[in-house]
Amino acid sequence: MNSRFIVTPILCTGCRTCELACSFTHAKDGKVGRSRIYPLDGGFKDLYVPVVCLQCEDPACVKSCLVDAIYFNENTGAYEINTEICVRCMACVAACPFGCSLFDTQQNLVIKCDLCGGDPVCAHFCPTKALTYKPIAI
Amino acid sequence: MITVTINGKLARAKEGEMLLVVLRREKIDIPALCHHEAVEPYGACRLCMVEITKKEWDGWKNMVTSCLYPAADGLIIQTHTTDLIELRKTILDLYLARCPNTPEIQELAAQYGVNQTSYEQVADPNDCILCGLCTRICDRMGFSAISAVNRGHGREIAPPLKEAPPDCVGCLACALNCPTNYIKYTDIGHIREIWGRKFELLRDARTGQPTIAREFAEYLSKHRNIRQDYFEQNDESHRKETALGLGKIAIWSREVPQ
Ligand code: SF4
Ligand code: FES
Repeated sequence: MNSRFIVTPILCTGCRTCELACSFTHAKDGKVGRSRIYPLDGGFKDLYVPVVCLQCEDPACVKSCLVDAIYFNENTGAYEINTEICVRCMACVAACPFGCSLFDTQQNLVIKCDLCGGDPVCAHFCPTKALTYKPIAI
Repeated sequence: MITVTINGKLARAKEGEMLLVVLRREKIDIPALCHHEAVEPYGACRLCMVEITKKEWDGWKNMVTSCLYPAADGLIIQTHTTDLIELRKTILDLYLARCPNTPEIQELAAQYGVNQTSYEQVADPNDCILCGLCTRICDRMGFSAISAVNRGHGREIAPPLKEAPPDCVGCLACALNCPTNYIKYTDIGHIREIWGRKFELLRDARTGQPTIAREFAEYLSKHRNIRQDYFEQNDESHRKETALGLGKIAIWSREVPQ
């Protein structure tokens, strides 16, 4: 599974469609979920950057989790949080240097991008292709 | 993969995984107070009892704690027989005698039709059901700051010598996972207090908002090799900084001739 998010900030218009797509995809019990992706101000005029978990190698979230609740899913290429194992200590939320481990106050759960099972919905919805998910040569 | 029968319906399971896990996956509503996937099963609360049998057992049946009983092929499981419901009622009745004012116990008992205990109420009601989940989680985190002390009637969960626990890092894992919310803590400004010990919460450099306890961050940076300054930003600030960093790179790479 050598696909990766390709983020091209120059193309991002800050329309937040990816955020919506994520919220709806992770809806539960009839309520939209907290988005795992954040299109944010890139610090220059009209420049936006969709910030999302990049599924690091040797990620800080995994290192910080003392109960091994975060593991690599071989089938999808995503680091996933098993919310049944998670004890909500917030270590990973504070540790991730990209801020992509999040606390969902509505569900009382720690969450992160799970690549929607290998085919992230946000990338499909990006109208400008600022965010794509493609196989890459490593 | 193996096959078990739950209340007359077939279900797939992994050999050896605990029955409670299978039941939860099959969306069977079964009370279980002392169970948590982060730690080994313990069988303390006794509420997750189910009835099991097998075809070849000649009608012989057994009641077991599902959190502690490994799934095996051909197991026939009943989760809500009259006997089991009676059993859970009795247990909840006993819990109510000990924890008459505990909302979590009251609710569960009410679900089983027990609104008041039929036993004599203990003189000093207590929210703790002594299930040991907090100590098991604390052990699993690697701190072992609290433990069960004394035996019999005087048994309770406490830090060593009932003093502010030296090994506690203020992570709150015990309090947040206690099934009866017995473990109290306060977060006031940047001071967290739990088990009679005070912790300083680190501050997000941008907003001043609290992140995690300094001792917890120090432990993680020392033992898990994570830069301590990571903990001096909350997730929102981390994201903002990431966007600014990537933004800079994007502008820079556009201006550099390719
Ligand atoms: S919040 Fe959950 S997933 Fe994150 S480090 Fe703590 S236990 Fe692990
Ligand atoms: S969950 Fe099985 S005994 Fe408590």
